[in-house]
Amino acid sequence: MNATRLFQFISARLTGRRLDWLLVGIAFLLSVLPARLLAPWTSDVARIVSVPIVPLMHLGMVTRDAIRPPREAFDHRAPEVIALEMQAEAARTLFEQSRLRVESLEREVSTLKGARAQIGGGAIQLETATVVGVDPTRREGLVRINVGARHGVHRDSVVILGADIFGGLVANDPTEFVSIVRPALKCNLSVRLYPAEGVEPARDPKLLQGTVLQPSEGGLWVGDIASDLPIREGEIARLSDERYGSIAKGLRVGRVRRILPNEQVPGARIVEVEPYALLVDESTVIVAMEPPERRQGP
Amino acid sequence: MRWSIYILACLIAVAADASIGGILKLGGVQPRFLPAVVVFALFAAPRIHAVRLALLAGVLCDLLSPVVRVDGSQLIVIGPWTLGFALGALAAVPLRSLLHHRNPISGGFAVMVFSMLASVVFVTIWMIRLLVLRDELPSWWPGTGAGEVWQQSKVALASAVVAVPTIWFLDKTRTVWGFSTAKRVVPGAAREPA
Repeated sequence: MNATRLFQFISARLTGRRLDWLLVGIAFLLSVLPARLLAPWTSDVARIVSVPIVPLMHLGMVTRDAIRPPREAFDHRAPEVIALEMQAEAARTLFEQSRLRVESLEREVSTLKGARAQIGGGAIQLETATVVGVDPTRREGLVRINVGARHGVHRDSVVILGADIFGGLVANDPTEFVSIVRPALKCNLSVRLYPAEGVEPARDPKLLQGTVLQPSEGGLWVGDIASDLPIREGEIARLSDERYGSIAKGLRVGRVRRILPNEQVPGARIVEVEPYALLVDESTVIVAMEPPERRQGP
Repeated sequence: MRWSIYILACLIAVAADASIGGILKLGGVQPRFLPAVVVFALFAAPRIHAVRLALLAGVLCDLLSPVVRVDGSQLIVIGPWTLGFALGALAAVPLRSLLHHRNPISGGFAVMVFSMLASVVFVTIWMIRLLVLRDELPSWWPGTGAGEVWQQSKVALASAVVAVPTIWFLDKTRTVWGFSTAKRVVPGAAREPA
């Protein structure tokens, strides 16, 4: 009974301005309470209050999406995604190219015992060329492209397919406007095999499996593996051949298709590498020419 | 005045702020509908209810404005917007006498004043918490309080623009709100019997 009277007394007193000030005081008190006193219960209160709001919000979101459609979900076939993937692959190739070049330079430095390496500073010249003729027999797979000496093309200029696939080498001394290209599939190539998922930058390229690929039947290369380092199908073969100059180093050649035992040499293996792209199937290629001071004879 | 209608309008406004309001975002400034609803009610409801109306909307605003703590959990502080809305109401109510309170443009101006004062109190309360309690960082951290007031001023301006059509629309629903239309009759010469 006393409690009822007390409540009646309080409610009779708490009207108008008094009630407002009381509410404001409570609000101020709550606003300066430490987080440890607020955290246990305010989230629960908010969760309860949000119950009637959620359907309204959902309705609002539907309306918003109708007025301004949300961005399309990620499309991995979108042109910009493909372009980014190609850029990433090209960057990876540049990275591997530079690492192989570093390795080569280190070896050179150690060989010359401190002699100053004369690394050419000239810029590499790139020319886009169109394939204007293919060897009709396809026996040699020679291809004619519409750039020549007039454009700076020289013997053993590197032909690149796409962004970073080794396509071949200019086979002869080019004429003024036409060059003949010997496709990669007809060349012996010294390569390193890289895991398809990429390599940690800290990993020494020397620890990667290397082999010399030789042209084989069926548009493939084969290479002998003498060591017992693990190799998996799908690994990427990147050019590490000294004969083709620094431009070609690190370019992708193909992927490991099969790993077979070498029946002639017990314990050894043979890898079959299939090319990423064939020069004869391309309509446009890039020809990379080293400045004269950096050219090396094959 | 029907409080249930007011609460429903506040809920709709809060939901709109959290969903469809994003469409109106311009240069990082998103207008809010809730101040327009509060100001509309302040202009039409009895003065005695003014602070309570604003406090209710402010609590709602606080409850739906969590701060992310350092450990990733959420903290809801009840008070900064509540007190801010209360002060805004105390400033907006006198404008009833100065402005034509059924004019949406007057309402827009009142919304700007209301929102700016509310944001000042909001920032002040958080600065007090920051300096005295030092337990949680405000949502605008590492920005400054002045920067937040400036940002909220832009929001207030945007809210004022949005308030014009909002208040016009709310005025069309005036009969639903149950506002008293009785006028106090003051005796004077005009009412003296001839």
